[in-house]
Amino acid sequence: MSHFDEMTGLLYLENQLKPENAQTVRAHASECGECRDLLEALRRESLWLRESLEVEDESVPARLLSAPEKGSAPWGWISALALSIGGAYTLWSGIIEPWRAQAAEAGFTQGNLLTMLFFSGAFWKGWDAMRSMVEFVTVATMCVLVIWLLRKHLGRSSMIAVATVGIFGMLAMPPMAGAAQVEHGQPNFELAAGTTVHTDLIVFADSTRIDGDVDGDVIAWSRDVTVNGHVKGDVIAFAQELRVNGTVGGNVRAFAQKVELNSTVARNVSAWVGDFDLNQSAHVNGTITLGTGDAVLDGTADGDLLAFGGHIAIQGLLESNALVHSGEMTIGPKAEVKGKLKYEGRKPPDVSPSAKFGTPMETVLKMEDSEGSKYSSPMYYWHQVLKWAAGFVFGLALLLLAPGFFFDAASACRKYAPALGFGVLLLFATPIAAVIVCVTIVGLGVGITAMLLWLIALYAAHVVVGLWLGETILGAGVGVGAALARLALGLLILRIVFMLPFVGGWVGLLVIIWGIGALALATRKTVQPHMAAAV
Amino acid sequence: MERRKATGEMSTAELADVLERVRSGDADAWGELYRLYAPAIFRFCRRALPTREDAEDATTDVFMKVRQKLGTYDSSRPFTAWLYKVASNHCWDLLRRRRIRQDLETGDLETLPLEHPDPSQLEKLQFDHDSKQVRAGLAKLPDRARMALVLRYYSDMSYDEIADTLGVRRAFVGVLLLRARHQLREVLGESGGASFEGAAAGGKP
Repeated sequence: MSHFDEMTGLLYLENQLKPENAQTVRAHASECGECRDLLEALRRESLWLRESLEVEDESVPARLLSAPEKGSAPWGWISALALSIGGAYTLWSGIIEPWRAQAAEAGFTQGNLLTMLFFSGAFWKGWDAMRSMVEFVTVATMCVLVIWLLRKHLGRSSMIAVATVGIFGMLAMPPMAGAAQVEHGQPNFELAAGTTVHTDLIVFADSTRIDGDVDGDVIAWSRDVTVNGHVKGDVIAFAQELRVNGTVGGNVRAFAQKVELNSTVARNVSAWVGDFDLNQSAHVNGTITLGTGDAVLDGTADGDLLAFGGHIAIQGLLESNALVHSGEMTIGPKAEVKGKLKYEGRKPPDVSPSAKFGTPMETVLKMEDSEGSKYSSPMYYWHQVLKWAAGFVFGLALLLLAPGFFFDAASACRKYAPALGFGVLLLFATPIAAVIVCVTIVGLGVGITAMLLWLIALYAAHVVVGLWLGETILGAGVGVGAALARLALGLLILRIVFMLPFVGGWVGLLVIIWGIGALALATRKTVQPHMAAAV
Repeated sequence: MERRKATGEMSTAELADVLERVRSGDADAWGELYRLYAPAIFRFCRRALPTREDAEDATTDVFMKVRQKLGTYDSSRPFTAWLYKVASNHCWDLLRRRRIRQDLETGDLETLPLEHPDPSQLEKLQFDHDSKQVRAGLAKLPDRARMALVLRYYSDMSYDEIADTLGVRRAFVGVLLLRARHQLREVLGESGGASFEGAAAGGKP
């Protein structure tokens, strides 16, 4: 037989030849290398086509999750939108407005939400309620979802217009940034005495020393920052150690391990810091807002003091009011508080008899058994409803944006041992790893991103477990409607259990561990396409 | 047929029970059936039709048809085969209705190259293109060529079933498949910056 053609080769490989013809081809191929090569090439091509077609690179769209039914009411949407509107109103009137007022009172007058989020969010008085920001985020998510759902009706150009307007809107929020001088230390940076920077100075360096003057702000990412010169604007530092010896015309904002102030600060001081020292020579003309481990205030503050911390020691002069939430508080013999001093803590304050007070000090000791009173407040139950709703809306968003992932995560809850194992590991290892990564400047972004994802995962954990619980009770459902019903039931049960005294906290921890473990398993499945089961 | 799998696992008896319940109007059973097979049908439609939106719409339409036509399903045949048949018929009808089929009905062995393609060149083509590129290449093929490849190499349909779906003679299915392979080689060769000579020479009728 002469060489066979490609068509014959393909039909042979696909078992489409009559047996006698197939036998002829087989016999020829066994003797002819060229035809054998052809058969092999075609066979590989078939395999290549099959593999390429089988790869799952797209998730199943959310709208296909529910079986097509005529006249089915989109109750999930209606209830979610209603909850969002209710939640948004409560958040605005109960949290955002008071927050803005509080921030303005504390001297955060930058006047835009982004700056406030960055610099005052961490020091906000109602930090506990910051958890409700997640609820705010879900509301924002709902807006995105609505746009997403309407995308077909809006059309591509309208979508681009909406997105463009949104981006410009966001960009327009902060005031126009002035020019800035950006310095990268090699590895250290030093602004020599006698030199003046007329703009803002942004420094990334191992060690930063500013002996000269700066007309704008100083923003520094550095292991240690020392400011000896005169800074007319703010000093904003992300550092292990910040030492300010020169006069600051604006505010001092610090995220640091240790902060030491020895000079005059014309406006306010806010610090998220391990150790805070306001030395005797220091004078703050505005307010002091602290989130700190230990703080020693020997200097003078004209404005209010708001401090959260482990141990706060007041030994200097406070011209206005002070509110201290801490484990312990010490008032030294030279201390003088001209306004009202309120202390909330677990231990009674250690007050020197020679300390002076404008009005009698108010002390609120937090008792361990103060839990019971909350159950009598209607607001407590309304907040529980809101928290349930927030979880539900979060789950809805997950269902629509990543249904496959969400169902995978809920299914992964059934793998009890791996889920709990991964959960424990991630719960404790992630923040440690993120902090370690943050030590380097390059790793800062990675670390912060990891922490944010970790926080989102902590929240998502109970939503995933909620869906699993609902499906376990009601059985596997079909489509968005059924999944939402199961999610709602699961979250409701979890919320009720969380409300129980003592047990609730431990169950909450277990749910977080279990949920983030399940999320990790689902993530692993997603990033390993060959392992992924079809959604 | 064994490659036509749905998302979940269900025994024949369970499936028969679900189908019976669907026929009797049980909404839960319908939902169960849908959840089991909708992802697979969507993926099939995604490969057979040019856009994602088309695939989404087609999946919904296919299941509406399934619900209407379930009474005609012969339970002695595999359900997935019937389901894929409904889906492939629907997709092909859709393409035909839109009159966007570009390839010609005619085509015979004379239009195909008689020489062997260069196996090493074929191997290089496979080596140089990942699944994403192959899928992108498939999307550029004429509809019938793409449908033929998807029905054969994704849905594992027999030549008879392909002939029936695409409305061609059975003897023509092999020609269709080989021509589709040539067209794909040509598309990928062009996108890769180098023309695939064998395909360029014989791929066009």
